[in-house]
Amino acid sequence: MADTVAFRLLVDDDVDAAAGLAVDEALMAGCARDADPPRPTLRLYTYRSHSALVGRYQSLAGELDLDRCRETGTGVGRRPTGGGAIVMGRDQLGVALIVPAPPRPPRQLLRELSAGVLAGLAGLGVPAEFGGKNDLLVNGRKIAGLGMYTDGSGAVLFHASVLADLDIDFMLQVLNIPAAKLARHGASAVAQRVTTVTRETGQRHSGAGIRSAIADGFTETLGVRLERGELTSAETAEAERLIHTRYADPEWLYPKAAAPDGTGTARFRSPDGPVRVFVAAQGSLIKSVLFTGDFTAPPDALTRLESTLRWQRLDPAAVERAVRESTGGTGTDGWHSPAEVVTAVLTAGARALEHATAHPHRATGSCYFPDTPSRDAE
Amino acid sequence: MTSENTLHNDELLVAGFPVRSDRYYDRDNHVWLLPMPDGRVRIGLDALNVETTGTLAGLGFLPVGSVLRRGGTYGSLEAAKYVGPLLTPISGIFAAGNEAVLAEPGLVTADPYGAGWLAELEPTDFDAELPLLLHTEAELRSWFSATVTDYRSRGLIAE
Repeated sequence: MADTVAFRLLVDDDVDAAAGLAVDEALMAGCARDADPPRPTLRLYTYRSHSALVGRYQSLAGELDLDRCRETGTGVGRRPTGGGAIVMGRDQLGVALIVPAPPRPPRQLLRELSAGVLAGLAGLGVPAEFGGKNDLLVNGRKIAGLGMYTDGSGAVLFHASVLADLDIDFMLQVLNIPAAKLARHGASAVAQRVTTVTRETGQRHSGAGIRSAIADGFTETLGVRLERGELTSAETAEAERLIHTRYADPEWLYPKAAAPDGTGTARFRSPDGPVRVFVAAQGSLIKSVLFTGDFTAPPDALTRLESTLRWQRLDPAAVERAVRESTGGTGTDGWHSPAEVVTAVLTAGARALEHATAHPHRATGSCYFPDTPSRDAE
Repeated sequence: MTSENTLHNDELLVAGFPVRSDRYYDRDNHVWLLPMPDGRVRIGLDALNVETTGTLAGLGFLPVGSVLRRGGTYGSLEAAKYVGPLLTPISGIFAAGNEAVLAEPGLVTADPYGAGWLAELEPTDFDAELPLLLHTEAELRSWFSATVTDYRSRGLIAE
């Protein structure tokens, strides 16, 4: 045991959006190439209820209902990591793992570093797996979002947000997810695609309440021992600096949008009745897709297709390929005409691009839910 | 959408990937550099880098005028929830980011050697640093095919 590598464990709760993110980045200096010795750190923390955080290249105005955030005292922030908008608070555990970057491609590394979260969830009796677009899923439902950031210094910051519990109605208030707000069964559509430790175990859990299990998961998968520690004075000073120069800086929070976002929708027929597809696009890239209809649970093929279409280009070949892969050519999951689905997705996408030009700031996707109509909402 | 990546005179096909022999390559980061007639250098990602990065969700650049050292960061890109640095293969002053790829990151994937270029620098130590990059056809073939073989053996790219 004496030979086991020690990682510092930091624990804090009720942090503000800017401070929470600034501390994570400040910890990276301890794992830069010139850090001697390196100081790998696992930080397991909760945000103040509530904080809404968008991904690195998302638009705050597009993803968040900023008026509602103000009314509800919800803090806002932009993560250094990629991915979609999330709501964090006492019911979600923030995971930040900072280590010297191993010489591996990012996609492989993200998967490796998520193993600690999976092991932690398993310890709670929740059998999650890596899947979708780099998410952690339980029976196809998302239970944790992942993200990663490297800055060229030699350190890597791995992020996970683990849903101990989730107030879906509140999330729908502060995130711009018009599809869910406007579709007839919006909240249940979210509930069909997301799950929580509370829901999976039948016992109420909070973010802080699952902390020790997640810590154990990292101890097991990293083969290290965790030693409770504190920030150094240099890290505290760097975090303060980053709050002012970055995470609370309007230029970081509200940069000029690069590619315009837009959303559009179209319908197609299925044996289970009419299905509506919502597509959110940025430039010609599909940011997210949502299928809604009068089903108690979305057909598996459509759920797979939502995931497969994310981050694909909006062109017929890519959409046809995704539809083919997701249906497996069987046509048994609720609809029988792939061509009609392809046409509907492309039509919704074309409307999204049209809309992008007219309204440059539209929602592009929550981490826990795809998006977003702008017209023809049910 | 342009497609300069077809039928280009200087194009080699190495292990199934196009490599342009008219430019210089950073061995470690799979970044190309092309000297421009006005003395600037243009930089971008090579085809293998694009393949392993995946679909780009967004990217951003440092302000024009930023002073960069070889291996330093001139911006960042996001793909599959990962945000990583864009690293320069040469020291210089950041002169321009490609506005077209900011508006349409998919250009980088569609045409990495052409319309999907990323940035231009005014090099500050060109003569000393250029020899550190790979350029001859033999060097490019050997380096690129070895990397592709390694990536395939590790399952990082498809067979």
